[in-house]
Amino acid sequence: MGREDFVKWAEKEFDIKKVFEKPEALEGIVVIEFCTLILGPATPSYLSEFGATIIKLELPGMGDTMRSLTPWGRFPPDGAHAMGYLKESRNKYSVGIDLHHPEAKEVFKRLIKRADVFIENLRAGTLDRWGIGYRDLVEINPRLIYIANNGFGQWGPYVERPSYDAIAQSESGIAWITGFPNELPLKAGIWLADYYGALVSAVAVLAALYWRNRTGEGQYIEFSQAENMIRALDWTWIYQCLTGKGRERYGNRDVAICPSDVFVSKDKEYVAIGCATDEEFKGLCKAMGRTDLAEDPRFSTHLERLKPENQEALYPIIKEWVANTSWPEIDKLASQYGFGAEKVHCAKDMYTDPHFEVRGFKWTVDDPVSGKVVVEGIAPKLNKTPGRIKWIGRPVGVDTYYVLTKYADLTWKEIRELEEKGVIGSKWKDMPGRRPPKTWDGQSGIVYP
Amino acid sequence: MIEKKMDNTVPWDEWIRALDDPKYTPGKPEALSDLWVIDVSYANMAGAYASSILSEFGANVIKIEPPTGDPARTFTPFGITHKGEGLGYLNEGRNKYHITLNLNTKEGKEIFKKLAKKVDVIIESFKPGVMDELGIGYRQLSVENPRLVYCAIYTYGQYGPRALCNKADVDIINQVMSGVTYVTGEYVKDPNNPKESEVPTKEGNWMGWYAGGAWAAFAILTALIWRDKSGEGQFIDVSPAEALGRCINYALTNYQFYEDNVERVGNLDAGVFCYTYFRCKDGYCFLSGFADPNWSLLCEIIERPDLRDKYPTVFERLNFENQKAAYKEIEKWTIDKTYNEIFEIVMEANRKAKESGKGGVVVPGKVVSPQEVMHTENWWIRGTFVKFEDPIYGELIIANQPWKMTKTPPRVKWLCRPVGRDNMYIYQKLLGFGAEDIKNLKEKGVI
Repeated sequence: MGREDFVKWAEKEFDIKKVFEKPEALEGIVVIEFCTLILGPATPSYLSEFGATIIKLELPGMGDTMRSLTPWGRFPPDGAHAMGYLKESRNKYSVGIDLHHPEAKEVFKRLIKRADVFIENLRAGTLDRWGIGYRDLVEINPRLIYIANNGFGQWGPYVERPSYDAIAQSESGIAWITGFPNELPLKAGIWLADYYGALVSAVAVLAALYWRNRTGEGQYIEFSQAENMIRALDWTWIYQCLTGKGRERYGNRDVAICPSDVFVSKDKEYVAIGCATDEEFKGLCKAMGRTDLAEDPRFSTHLERLKPENQEALYPIIKEWVANTSWPEIDKLASQYGFGAEKVHCAKDMYTDPHFEVRGFKWTVDDPVSGKVVVEGIAPKLNKTPGRIKWIGRPVGVDTYYVLTKYADLTWKEIRELEEKGVIGSKWKDMPGRRPPKTWDGQSGIVYP
Repeated sequence: MIEKKMDNTVPWDEWIRALDDPKYTPGKPEALSDLWVIDVSYANMAGAYASSILSEFGANVIKIEPPTGDPARTFTPFGITHKGEGLGYLNEGRNKYHITLNLNTKEGKEIFKKLAKKVDVIIESFKPGVMDELGIGYRQLSVENPRLVYCAIYTYGQYGPRALCNKADVDIINQVMSGVTYVTGEYVKDPNNPKESEVPTKEGNWMGWYAGGAWAAFAILTALIWRDKSGEGQFIDVSPAEALGRCINYALTNYQFYEDNVERVGNLDAGVFCYTYFRCKDGYCFLSGFADPNWSLLCEIIERPDLRDKYPTVFERLNFENQKAAYKEIEKWTIDKTYNEIFEIVMEANRKAKESGKGGVVVPGKVVSPQEVMHTENWWIRGTFVKFEDPIYGELIIANQPWKMTKTPPRVKWLCRPVGRDNMYIYQKLLGFGAEDIKNLKEKGVI
């Protein structure tokens, strides 16, 4: 009764219908983004969900390369933006500006004066060479938090190396330990080092904002996505240091938690089974009708279960049980006995499960440009200042006039002149990923003029 | 250092290194040094990682364990322990005070309430409502401490149809529920003869928990920034499954428009080609060439202009059957070269393409084993790895944080502490318990 009451309370507290009635934690924080693809742009995306204002600077016309990235080259049916772009450009304003141009640099500096955070993901030192790097900007705005996301950081032997998500995965060792023994190392089926990298980068921005609230001081933050994956490899480094052995690929088996593996059920679902405590393992044994196993000295404590020979003895038993039990039965037993069991979720599972919808993980945006689009929603739930998605990816430069009027104190006439010179641009190229969907009326969603 | 600050004649890398190299960390302030955090997470590395992040930024973190210790201390490869600790927790005990408290005793709960009044943040990972039922959940604690930021971590979250399913939060469960496992792994090459390895595949590390921990730290800091403004704490719900799921590219959008799943494609990518790992003479290498000029340069490097003609635009290149076919052709070039040879050839070609104004960049990368990673000079120069000498656990190699910061760099002060080692210090400092009180509580099984 007590726990049900709590969950009811929580459901009311987090009610997705009330989200827009509540304040935003990062309201008033202005972030300038000069980034492409994901590692850079996702950091401000995460901040935007909690109310930060994001001004995305893009090359006029073409914009972010990410605007082309869509699975199998398939764009949404009405010709809207690439799926990868739609999602990650949530809540952002798009400004077309060519920062190579001296006059654009002046506009940029005006924006920086008003900004709290600047984020870029260029090669190390690029903006410094352009005369608008941290050394230049800190003089204009000492409260500025400047964060540079890239592959290998700003200095050191690898500083000249370009990076991508797949390179951070391969150079950090995570690809090496993912996959099966004697088969290929695997990269994640998602742009993991980008999305997860951008997240950990955002954490540092928040810590720096917290510090700035106390001291008034901004700072420079250097973030390497490869180093971030190295930090995420849990026990790898201590293990190698102590044993002299290298960490290898162990398939779906977690060799540090036992049991923890993926099996095939009677009804041919891929089912993960995991027990993090002895209590949970006892529950699994009960479910399997094998309480003797929980008493067996080889399996009764976690450290014993983890010994390679004991793992080898235990897994075939679980494998056979799962093979002879249907997923709905396993699911029921896992609830009854409190061990971990879940089937491998595909997009359909997540799309159709009301759990994810109630929790705002599946989020439908009714966008003035693109219409109703479903995207991955908000990861953490905050009851007083919940995250939200207001709109998704917008055409290149569509907010140029609004942003430069409001944040750079330029007049409509000045902006128009800059546009005629090609310094800035509010129009997009007529090509896939750049042009807005045919269904758009050309006006909805544009703030000004 | 300071006088060099605005000197634009110093090359950028030297200039910034003088400000953010971790070797200059000692003596600099810490971003979160005024924060007090309780981490009462249990058997959950998402909780441990969240509090590690805060502690690396300088927060005072009190890890509360039951007197028998957190089962997370036994999460360790093949059951190997070091001075009694599992290696997974040993890595995430950093900078934390470790105290014990039995929350199932009346006195234990009272002590917890007293501690909760004095801290800024609580992190827990029990099933939803467990703390509430004990009378020490957010609803109760926030009455006396309205500034409290309370973060609950659980696979199925604190609400929603599955919140009360009672199933355990384990990394692998988070991974498979995130949608990431489904799209990771080798595709079945021959449907009549599928291999055991051609299945959905989890990330090798505790990726579900690390993503959960990072999102928890993100949410906590966001809430603290709001608290600076409003004076109010709040309640945070983090599901590590959703935390990792937030990273699934465009899976939900694709399902909305096309009612199909993006299936697993091994080391290929539904959205980019060429962008994959190839076998080479001494291992595996990464090569890219996605946009037209880059693809064109790649075809030139491997002396296969026919491939450029066959797959002239991204639309041809993204077709899965074409990807598989082109992959085989490119691998013919990589297979008899060492990684270093490939790297040199590609970088030289990039240089020439730039000089000639023709453009195009092909990016090479190496698939490196963790053993080789740990022996790569670059990471030692950058302070990514350090040999850390801990008074209890001795000298160990650990990975440092991925952020270098000019003003408030993160740092590791100690690696871990045994169960209850800081009982005396923390209980005395925060609650005024003396040696005798501690002894009594111990005898009663409270700590």
